Amino acid sequence: MATESEDLLQGTLDLLILRTLALGPQHGWGIAQRIQQVSRDVLSVTQGSLYPALYRLEEQGAIAADWGLSDNNRRAKFYRLTRAGKRQLERETESWHRFTAAVGRVLRTE
Amino acid sequence: MSAIRRSLAAVKGLFVRRRLEAELDEELRFHLAMEAAEQARRGASREEAQRQAMLKLGGLEATKEAARSARGYRRLETLGQDVRFALRLLRRSPGYAATVVLALALGIGANTAMFSVVRGVLLRELPYRQPGRLVVLHQRDPRAVTMDQQFSVPDIEDLRRRTRSFSGLAEYHSMWFNLLGGTEPERVQTGVVSANFFGVLGTRALLGRTFSPDDDKPGAPPVLVFSHAYWRRSWGGDPAVIGKTLQMNDHPHRVIGVLPPVPQYPDENDLWMPTSACPFRSDPQMTGSRQMRGFSVFGRLQPGVTLARARQDLAAANRALVAEYAGDYPAGGLRIDATPMLAELTARARPTLWLLFATVLLVLLIVCANVANLELARLGSRGDEIALRAALGAGRGRLLRQLLTESVMLALLGAALGIGFAAVLLKALVAFASRFTTRTGDIALDGWVLGFTLAAGIAAGLLFGTLPAVTASRGLAAGTRAGGSGRPGPAGGSVRLRAVLAGVQVAVSFLLLVSAGLTLRSIWKLQAVDAGFDPQNVLALTVDLDWAHYKTAGERRAFHRVLLEKARALPGVAAAAYSSSYPLDGIGRGSGSVRVEGRDTAGANLPQAGFRMASPDVLRALGIRIERGRGLESGDRDGAPRVAVLGHALADQLFGQEDPIGRRIAVGSAQPPVWRTVVGVIADVRDMALDQDPGDAVWLPLDQEPALAGSLLLRSRRPPGQLTAAVRTIIRDVDPRQPVGRVQTLATARSASLAAPRLTTLLLSAFAALALAVTVIGLGGVVAFGVARRTREIGIRMALGASRGAILAAVLREGLAAVCIGVAVGAAMAQLLAHVVAQLLFGVPPTDPVTYGVVAVLLVAVAALACLLPARRATDLQPSLALRAL
Repeated sequence: MATESEDLLQGTLDLLILRTLALGPQHGWGIAQRIQQVSRDVLSVTQGSLYPALYRLEEQGAIAADWGLSDNNRRAKFYRLTRAGKRQLERETESWHRFTAAVGRVLRTE
Repeated sequence: MSAIRRSLAAVKGLFVRRRLEAELDEELRFHLAMEAAEQARRGASREEAQRQAMLKLGGLEATKEAARSARGYRRLETLGQDVRFALRLLRRSPGYAATVVLALALGIGANTAMFSVVRGVLLRELPYRQPGRLVVLHQRDPRAVTMDQQFSVPDIEDLRRRTRSFSGLAEYHSMWFNLLGGTEPERVQTGVVSANFFGVLGTRALLGRTFSPDDDKPGAPPVLVFSHAYWRRSWGGDPAVIGKTLQMNDHPHRVIGVLPPVPQYPDENDLWMPTSACPFRSDPQMTGSRQMRGFSVFGRLQPGVTLARARQDLAAANRALVAEYAGDYPAGGLRIDATPMLAELTARARPTLWLLFATVLLVLLIVCANVANLELARLGSRGDEIALRAALGAGRGRLLRQLLTESVMLALLGAALGIGFAAVLLKALVAFASRFTTRTGDIALDGWVLGFTLAAGIAAGLLFGTLPAVTASRGLAAGTRAGGSGRPGPAGGSVRLRAVLAGVQVAVSFLLLVSAGLTLRSIWKLQAVDAGFDPQNVLALTVDLDWAHYKTAGERRAFHRVLLEKARALPGVAAAAYSSSYPLDGIGRGSGSVRVEGRDTAGANLPQAGFRMASPDVLRALGIRIERGRGLESGDRDGAPRVAVLGHALADQLFGQEDPIGRRIAVGSAQPPVWRTVVGVIADVRDMALDQDPGDAVWLPLDQEPALAGSLLLRSRRPPGQLTAAVRTIIRDVDPRQPVGRVQTLATARSASLAAPRLTTLLLSAFAALALAVTVIGLGGVVAFGVARRTREIGIRMALGASRGAILAAVLREGLAAVCIGVAVGAAMAQLLAHVVAQLLFGVPPTDPVTYGVVAVLLVAVAALACLLPARRATDLQPSLALRAL
C-alpha cells in the first residue's frame, strides 16, 4: 500500500476520472483501482475525495450514471463518459500538457 | 453547467432525497465491500480488512457529507438555515428592522397600489368573450382628424353588406329618456343598440334574455333590457321585473331581461333598447339619410382575420361608398378606421397612469438606495461576526447568500406590510382613476397584484442587499478585519460609496420634484385661464325635452318662451336664458360646416364650427363680451330675418380684416343653404376644456332654431344654489311630465373640469415629497457616518485651533458635493425624459427653467440643512474626547 500519496488537486482528480472512464464505463471502486494501477501505485486517490468528485462531475453533465451488475453480481452504480465529458477531457488534457511543459521549462533553467 | 440546471437539480433533490440517500448508502457500501475483499485477498483478516477499507475511504459519514454538498439540494437546506439566522438577527436589532421594514412598506405598498390600478384599468381584458377581437370603428374627415363623425344608418347597413372581415357589426348610441311606471318619472340613460350588440360582445343575460333579430324589426313591440346596477338600484333586484310593462316615449315597453354585473361600455347605461324602439333613431329621416351621422359601431373580427386585413376591407368598402354616393360626402370623402376596443377605452387614462406608476417605481428606487446605505453602515459593525464565519469555513459565496437572505427577508416583511398600506391607498387611487375611466370596478388586490408584490419584494431585497453584501464579503477576502473597537471598518463601505448612493437618491428626487413642480405650474396656469365667460353665480339646469311630446318646432318654442318668462320673474334672477349647451358642461356642441354667401365652395375645404342655439339673454347670463355689433336679441324671433352671431376666431378665419357684420353665412350642408345674416362678433369661450383652444363657434337664436335638448341658465344675485327649488317648481308648472336633469353651478363645472389634472398633481407632489423626505434622511445618515469615521481627525484639528465654523464648512462642502452632482445628473435626466410629461402640461414647457431652478435651490437648501445637523453634533465634541477615540 502506498504510504506516500501525493495530494491531488481537485481539477487533476477530475481529469484522471474522465480519462479512466474514456476507457469504458466503471463503478467508483473500479475507477480508484484503475488509477492506482495505471500510475504504478504512485497516485493513490483518497477515496474520500473520489465520490464528491464523481457527483460533481455528474451534476456538471460530464459523466452519467446507471445502476448495473458488477463482476461479482452485486448491484453497483456505473459511470460513463458523456459527449460533453469527452470534450472536457480533451480540453483539460491539453491544458495539462501545456502546464507541465511550462513548468518543465522553468525548472530546466539555471 | 448552468445555474438553471443546478437549481432544478436542487429542487428535484429535495423531493427525492430519501431515494438518493439510499442510493448513496448502497454505493458506498459496495465500495467498502470491494475494498475489504481486496484487503482480504492480500492476507488481512476479515475485521482488519474492513477496518482498512473504512480508513481508506476516509470515514463513511464524512464521505457522505462531502457527497451531499456536491449535490445541489444542499442549497435549499442552507436556505432554511439562513432564514432562521436572519430572523434571529432581526429580532436582536428591532429598531433597525422596524425602520427598514417601514420604509420598504411605504415604497412597495405604493407600487402595489399603483400596479393594481394599472392592471385593473389598462391591462386587464374587457369582460367579454375573446375581447381581443373587438374593435371600434371610426369615420373621420381627413381635414378634421380629431373629430369622429361616426356613422349613419345606411352607412352601417352598407358596411355590413360589403365587408367580410367581421362576424358582426353592432350599432350603438346612448340617449336620455323619461321612464314612467316606476314610483316617479325617472330620467334614464339608455343604450340604443342593434339586436346583435350583446351577441357581438358575448354578454349573456342574467335573467330573461337579450335582443333577438325580431325585436329590431321596424314596428316590433318595444322591449327593454335592464343593466345590473340599475336593476338593483331602482328595482331592488326584484326578479319579477321581467315581463313588466313600462311607459317610455308614449309607448309601452316590455322588460325582457337583466344583464349580469358587467361594467357598461362605453357609457354607464341604465337600460338598453333595440334601435326600432327609439323614436329618434327609427324616424324615417334618420334611417333614410346617409348624412345623418352619429351612431357608433363596434365589431368583432372573424376568427383568423387580422386587424390590418379588416382595415383594408373597410377602406375598400369606403372607397366604393364614397364613389357611389358622392353627394353625401364632403369633398375629399371620409376615412373609416378600426381600433382595438381596449386601446380605445383606455386612451384617456393611459398616459397619466403610466406616469404615476413610473413615479412610484422611482420612489422605491430611492428607498432601496437609502436602505442600502443603512445596510452598509450596519455591516460595518458586524465585521467580527463575519470574520468568524469565514474562519469556520464559510466560502465567499456562502456569506453572500446569507447576507442576501437577510436583505430579502427584510424586503418580504416590508412587502407584507406594504400590502396593508396599499389597501388603504387604493381607495384614494380608485376615486382618482374614476375621473378618467369607467373601469375602476375592476381594481382589486388580486392574485396578480400579490404576485407582483412578492416579486417586487424579492427584487428590492436583492437590489439594496447586493451592494453591501458584495462589499462586506470583498472586504473579507482582502484579509482585513474590523477591530473590536466598534469603529466602522472597511466592511462598512467607503464614504465615497455611500455618498454615491446618496447622490443617486438626490438625482432621482430631483426628477420627481421637477415633474411635480411642472404639473403644479400647469394647474396654476389652468386655473388662471380666462375662459371667455364669467362662471360666478350662474346656475345651470339640464332640461332635455321629450322627443315624443315636442315633435314640432312650434311646441318647443312655446315651452321655451313660457319657461323663460317664468324664470325671469323669479326673485334674485338677474338674467335667464336657455342654451343648447353651456361652457364646460362636458357634453359639447353640435358642429357643422360653415359656408359664406358669395364664395364658391365647390371642391373647397369648408371650415367647421360648433354651433349652439340660445335665447337672447344668454350673453348676459354667461357674461360673454360682445366685441362687434350686437348679441342675440328678443327681436330675433321665428319669422324675423335669420341671424347668427360669430365667435372671434371664426370671424377672423372667415373674414379676416373685412367686416363680418351684414355678411351672410349658412351652417350645415342642407341644400338649398339657409342663409343667416351675421349681426355680431363675441369673445371666444373655452367650452370643451380649459386647456383646449376655444374653437370656432356660431350662435343661433333659439326661437328661430328651437333646440330639443339644452340647459336653463340663470345668473343670480344670491348664491345660485338657493334658486334650485324655485326653478324646479316652475319647470313642473310648465310641464309636469318634464324631469330635470343635472343641476350644477358653472363654478362647480369649471372646478370639475380641473379635477383630474389637480388630482394628478396632488399625487405627483405627494410622491415627490416622500422621495425628498427619504433622500434627506439618507443624506443625513451619510454625513453622520462620515463624521463618525473622522472623529479623531476632527478632534485634532480642533485641538490645533480650527474654529467650529471651519470644520462645519468643510463637512458641509463634502456633503454638498454629492448633492450638487446629484442635482446636475438629475437635471440631465429630466431634460432627456421631459417629453414624457409634456402631454400633461399646459402653458409650461417641460424644460421650464424656473421650475428647474426652484427645485435645484430647494434641494440644495434642504440638503444643506440635513448635513448641518450631524456636522454640528460632531463639532460639539470636546477635542479630548475625540482624540481618545483611538
